[in-house]
Amino acid sequence: MKHLLLTLLACIALPLAAQEGLHIDKIFRGEVVGETAIKESLVKGESLAPYKLRVLRTAKFTVGEARRDEVETLFEEDMKGRNDDDENIELEYRDGHLYYAIVQLTDTRKGQHRYICYQCRKTMGGHGITLVYMEGKASLADLRKTFKKK
Amino acid sequence: MDKDLSRLLARYMEGETTQEEQRLLAKYLMETDPLPEELKPYKQMFDLIGERPEVPEAKALKRLAPSPLPLWGSASFSQDREALAATKPSPKGGAGRGLPLFLAAACLAAFAFILHSLPEQEESLAVAHIDGKELHDQRLALQMGQQALQEIFSNGNQEEELSELFNNP
Repeated sequence: MKHLLLTLLACIALPLAAQEGLHIDKIFRGEVVGETAIKESLVKGESLAPYKLRVLRTAKFTVGEARRDEVETLFEEDMKGRNDDDENIELEYRDGHLYYAIVQLTDTRKGQHRYICYQCRKTMGGHGITLVYMEGKASLADLRKTFKKK
Repeated sequence: MDKDLSRLLARYMEGETTQEEQRLLAKYLMETDPLPEELKPYKQMFDLIGERPEVPEAKALKRLAPSPLPLWGSASFSQDREALAATKPSPKGGAGRGLPLFLAAACLAAFAFILHSLPEQEESLAVAHIDGKELHDQRLALQMGQQALQEIFSNGNQEEELSELFNNP
């Protein structure tokens, strides 16, 4: 009976989480790259309505090779939960490393999509990484249409 | 003395009788008049320990108990009611405990269902972290988010543009 009550409580609490439960959450929490070295933004709610999103979280930072590999591994772990439909994934590797990725994860709720994005470019100080987590009703086609520069 | 009665008394003394048998025995001893001499000590004993047909309160308590109660043969009680009150249901499988827990679980499930059925109230939040500082600036946070998405979604285009730039000076 105690287990039943705990399960019911968990059912109430879990949908409140956003990117929690993903490996990249560690990065957003500043556990991989120091908080001072990371530029991060978190937006939730009405201001994202024009983009059909409800959560948008981004992080930008520059790291050396070791940290780059760590970030890449965490992202690749989360990619295992992806929607394998070709239309829902963009992936590119260069020199054996993840260079660019837009991945749709399996849906959390009916009508809601979750995406994780990654980009890594060589810079003067190492590797410039951009990481994005977003959640909402927007399809990947909607997002491309909105954010792709022409 | 009747053989059946004798056997029942022997079982009673061993604490092996059921509640119904105890009730019948008590009723027989209290209502039989004149009571045979050899049964009088039993009657005195019943009087002494207060063994008698159950009163309504005791019956109500018994309904909550998981199994027949040891009304006699235990030295720890002297009254039916006390014995019933003192006898706790076993920790697992007691109907008296199970029912309230089941009701609590049902209420919680109903609450969870209602909570999920309600239209979602989106929590609005906009935070930017720069150089370890937390800035509650919606415009800035949104701008940073847009820029990051533009960079990622335009990745191919930028690469092509750069390639064209360097290949066609």
